[in-house]
Amino acid sequence: MPRKFLPTPRNSRLGSWPRRRFLQSTLAAAVGVSLTNCRQAITAPQGGSANDNTLHIYTWANYIDDALAAEFTQRTGTRVVVDIFDSNEVMLTKLKAGGGGAYSLVYPSDYMVSEMIEAGLLTTLDHARLQGLDNLKTKWQNPPYDPDNAHSIPFNWGTTGLLFNQDVTPGTPTDWSFLWENKEALARRITLLDDMRETLGVALKTLGFSYNTNDPAQISAAYDKLRELQPYIAAFKTTGFENEILAGDLAISMAYSSDAIALVKEDDRLQYIIPTSGTSLWTDTMAIPTTAPNVEAAYQWINFMLEPEVAKAAVERLFFATANQAAFDLLPAEIRNNAELYPPDSVLARSEGIQSISTASNDLFDRYWTQITSA
Amino acid sequence: MADSAPPKPIPPVWTQLGERLTPRRWLGPVALLGPAGLWLLLLLVIPTLLILEISLVPGLRLGQPAGGYGLDNYLQILQPVYLRVMGRSLLFALGSTLLCLGLGFPVAYWLALMSPRRWRNLLLVAFILPLWTSSLLRAYAWITILRSSGVLNTIFQLLSLPPQNWLNTPTAVFIGLTYSFLPYMVLILYASLEKLDLRLLEAAADLGATPRQQFWQITVPQTLPGIAAGSLLVFIAALGDFVVPTLLGGASSMNISRLIYNQFLGPTRAWGFGSALSMVLILAVSLAIALLLKYGDRSTVTETSQ
Repeated sequence: MPRKFLPTPRNSRLGSWPRRRFLQSTLAAAVGVSLTNCRQAITAPQGGSANDNTLHIYTWANYIDDALAAEFTQRTGTRVVVDIFDSNEVMLTKLKAGGGGAYSLVYPSDYMVSEMIEAGLLTTLDHARLQGLDNLKTKWQNPPYDPDNAHSIPFNWGTTGLLFNQDVTPGTPTDWSFLWENKEALARRITLLDDMRETLGVALKTLGFSYNTNDPAQISAAYDKLRELQPYIAAFKTTGFENEILAGDLAISMAYSSDAIALVKEDDRLQYIIPTSGTSLWTDTMAIPTTAPNVEAAYQWINFMLEPEVAKAAVERLFFATANQAAFDLLPAEIRNNAELYPPDSVLARSEGIQSISTASNDLFDRYWTQITSA
Repeated sequence: MADSAPPKPIPPVWTQLGERLTPRRWLGPVALLGPAGLWLLLLLVIPTLLILEISLVPGLRLGQPAGGYGLDNYLQILQPVYLRVMGRSLLFALGSTLLCLGLGFPVAYWLALMSPRRWRNLLLVAFILPLWTSSLLRAYAWITILRSSGVLNTIFQLLSLPPQNWLNTPTAVFIGLTYSFLPYMVLILYASLEKLDLRLLEAAADLGATPRQQFWQITVPQTLPGIAAGSLLVFIAALGDFVVPTLLGGASSMNISRLIYNQFLGPTRAWGFGSALSMVLILAVSLAIALLLKYGDRSTVTETSQ
């Protein structure tokens, strides 16, 4: 800020200098603190050359268990350094901008895997160097986003559904249509995800269309459908609804299964359902960037995570589902039979993963999304 | 922000000494201005020019081949849906600036002129202490306060006032933004009020001015540069705020910074359009600064002439 804007001392008041100094330093401190509050600090990781024995992993928060990482280091002698991203797009941008040269392993989600393959960012995996691929559940043996798991190995998966507070919700929702049918009773006590593909996708699903449609008429119909619900929605939030739904100020929140199940564990009045007409299914994977140093360690890590005992330990404390059948079999019955975590096959069959759509469709989604959140 | 290359001051002492153009003569200014100049060049000027360039490539997307130059990205902003988003951002920023001024001036006045002298520094620290926590944390705190069965309504109930459902409305955004930026306003106004020439107020009182006249004709004009600087700082910060509208604003709270975020990190990855939006934001802020420069200068002139 140019000094001109700051008031200049008009008469010399030597006595007030210490305070002025103090004021300047506090202002500087305050500005400094507010700058550190800025999000999206993209930092370059240090080290990570092929020679030193370090494995740099770029992944989601809470995906790498400290105890498991320690066990890996003990077994292989490779140190694990973890960096965190909070969206696939942040990870993609960093890799594309050349800031991901140190990473040997990344954890992209399904649709991002397809995009990264297309952009030539992922190595084709040498399946001969991997053990335990047969342990994957059949649905994840040949996923649509990456046929034959040629570039990525599924790590975990989950669903999107409705989290509701039984005390304040009139009835028990079973499907997405519940929101439209009870909109007056639920007015301003609903939150939907702040994610255009997921939320417009719900409207598409309710109308019987695919999440991944490229048909402008269907997308437009979904906009109209969601627009009908918009006045009754409190907010579009991916986080920040937890407090309100626990207190009963919100009745229903659309949520990712991992977030929702963590809350259900906290309070008996909360319940999570996977809508019967199907939902979106997300899968997070492990993949090796083409720029990866220390590829050997990356393979070691994937093999380590494919071990049934390790895969079981990795999902036990966190509320997401494993794609590893052998690990699933090791889980206690109470978790295996949890329909919130592992929905029945009939629901799974009606669900689909969110995949990349055409640029024109993305633009259309984005325009409608801006209209919805700006109405 | 606007003046990135301040004119090199020529030290009057050397001029008086009649030195010729020796290395000593330019080494000083270069050494003094060099680091900051480099900083501004690398982190402000070059990135801004890059954004400008990207904004002039219609439909530029990350990882896709770019076409020629054009103004299509800017024309896209003129669509009603985006103008509405801009209007809302301006409204949020202007509203919270006025609220900060209204709430901050009395506090700064009391701190600078009426509070016990030895407590003053401590009081100031207490006032800016909330800034030492993350803005995200503060927004979450407001969720707890404002939700319908939250702290605020519990207090309202005790006072037999009607409960309010302010969370997820523009009201909550104004509250959150004002809370976030009030300390900046108070600090700047305090610095301004602290230097208020009290003798002028005494003189005005001697000449029969009422307290009201004293305030509007002595105090306010003298602190006008402070008011302008504080308002500008709050306005700029509020215009670019991302967290508060997202967490507190409800279903219809899309603002320009979220829209820019969506263009860069959303599925469209429309960097061209996002850059055009960013340029508009930069221009709006620059315009505000330019107005202040002009306005601020004049007020200084009138002050001296009076």
